[in-house]
Amino acid sequence: MIQLTNIWKAFGEKQVHKGLNLEVRDNETLVIIGRSGGGKSVLLKMIIGLITPDSGSITVDGKEVSSLTYKQLQRLRFKFGFLFQGAALFDSMTVGQNIELALRRHSDFKDADIADRVSYALQLVKLENVEHLMPSSISGGMKKRVGLARAIALTPKYMLYDEPTTGLDVETADGINLLINELKTTLGVTSVVVTHDIHSAFVVGDRFAIFENGQFIMTGTKDDIRNSPNPEVRKYIESDIQT
Amino acid sequence: MSEATHESTLLSRAGELFFRPGKVIITFFEHLGRYMGTIGWMLYNFRNARDYSGNILQQMVTIGNNSVPIVLFVSMFVGMVTAVQSSYQLYDWIPRSVVGALVTKSVLLELTPLLTALVLAGKVGATITAELGTMRVTEQIDALEALAFDPISFLITPRVLAGIFMFPILVILGDFVAILGGMFGASAIAGIPTEAFVDGMKSSFETWDAGFGIIKATVFGFIITSVSCYQGFQVQGGSEGVGNATMNTVVITCLSVVVMDFILASVLL
Repeated sequence: MIQLTNIWKAFGEKQVHKGLNLEVRDNETLVIIGRSGGGKSVLLKMIIGLITPDSGSITVDGKEVSSLTYKQLQRLRFKFGFLFQGAALFDSMTVGQNIELALRRHSDFKDADIADRVSYALQLVKLENVEHLMPSSISGGMKKRVGLARAIALTPKYMLYDEPTTGLDVETADGINLLINELKTTLGVTSVVVTHDIHSAFVVGDRFAIFENGQFIMTGTKDDIRNSPNPEVRKYIESDIQT
Repeated sequence: MSEATHESTLLSRAGELFFRPGKVIITFFEHLGRYMGTIGWMLYNFRNARDYSGNILQQMVTIGNNSVPIVLFVSMFVGMVTAVQSSYQLYDWIPRSVVGALVTKSVLLELTPLLTALVLAGKVGATITAELGTMRVTEQIDALEALAFDPISFLITPRVLAGIFMFPILVILGDFVAILGGMFGASAIAGIPTEAFVDGMKSSFETWDAGFGIIKATVFGFIITSVSCYQGFQVQGGSEGVGNATMNTVVITCLSVVVMDFILASVLL
């Protein structure tokens, strides 16, 4: 379980988080919905200790992230897969090298086993025979899939998705949403998805948290969100109806 | 404009003039502290470098092998120019062999290490900063950390080690070519016989001169690669941030190299 308690964070004069509280339960997909540039991605990076909150507490499986030593933090990160907004593939490496990098460093697998794991991860994201391609020669949708394959290669317990469908056409975005759902059932991962795309959110999410002006103004199920009279929440529902 | 507003504007400008140098000094020490922290982290986790030996070899090729043509080209012309100018300045009142001595001393002690470092500050330093800066803004460095890698050991240590190993080798190659260039310039342009040039070279050669050049190259290699890595890691924003960091790298490394050149000469000669 991931627990965020009273998180405050500012960048210079800009206060991006104002006392956030959130709980991510095991085996659920929690979607954080909010406008772009509001600080949602920062929240994901805080969960794995890439950014430290100014105050407040983040615990993962009962361990306080900010109090971990560097080695302990690295061990904690093994539990996470992170899909970055732009996929963040290492552009000097092939697709295969991107996926096997963590396997070579953090596992005892032999070369043949690593090749099998890479193929399996690619198979899970519906890609085949792309190991030799460079990231610069594949499409945005494929990059996201490869990013996803890299994230799941070490079979994480938690998946963090940062705007997984941003910049993709509707068909490709639907494909990614489908993959997120499939990975949940296949690997049994607990997921946190950050998005401003309410349509995608409703496809993949079990619970939802609406992030507005540095705070969660509402958390609840799909029905709770749909039936909310709060105008700040309604604007997201209406944007979904319009699309 | 009312008198009160005018006064307030003047006060604000006076305040800005007073505080701006202070801000610059604080920023300088902030960066110096972070840079030292990065170097400290690199040294503390130095044993991790073994795990990334492939990266070190790859960087040795990028930093070393790929820089050979430009270093040889520059060194060749540095040697020729030194020979031609020395013979022009001294022609009538000293023996011709002195040109060989002058070229050898100048090339080994100063010209090849310094000019190689300045050229590589532009070529290697700018490349490293642009590469790491782009990795920073495209979240590739965050991705490395998310995959439980130590990005300093993975990205910075191999580049700095490659710089420390390869800069001296480039300078040794440059020394040879610069002396050959000097010999060619002296004979083809200044009409100094090769035998006279070689006599001068032999009479003035001291092993320490070459050793001093190699020490300088090692220090310059460390400065250029470590500063450019640090600048790349600090990039914020998008392509503009990468551009600014790359420019800062070239300026800072060039200035650091000339200052360190003076310090090393003062201490070691």
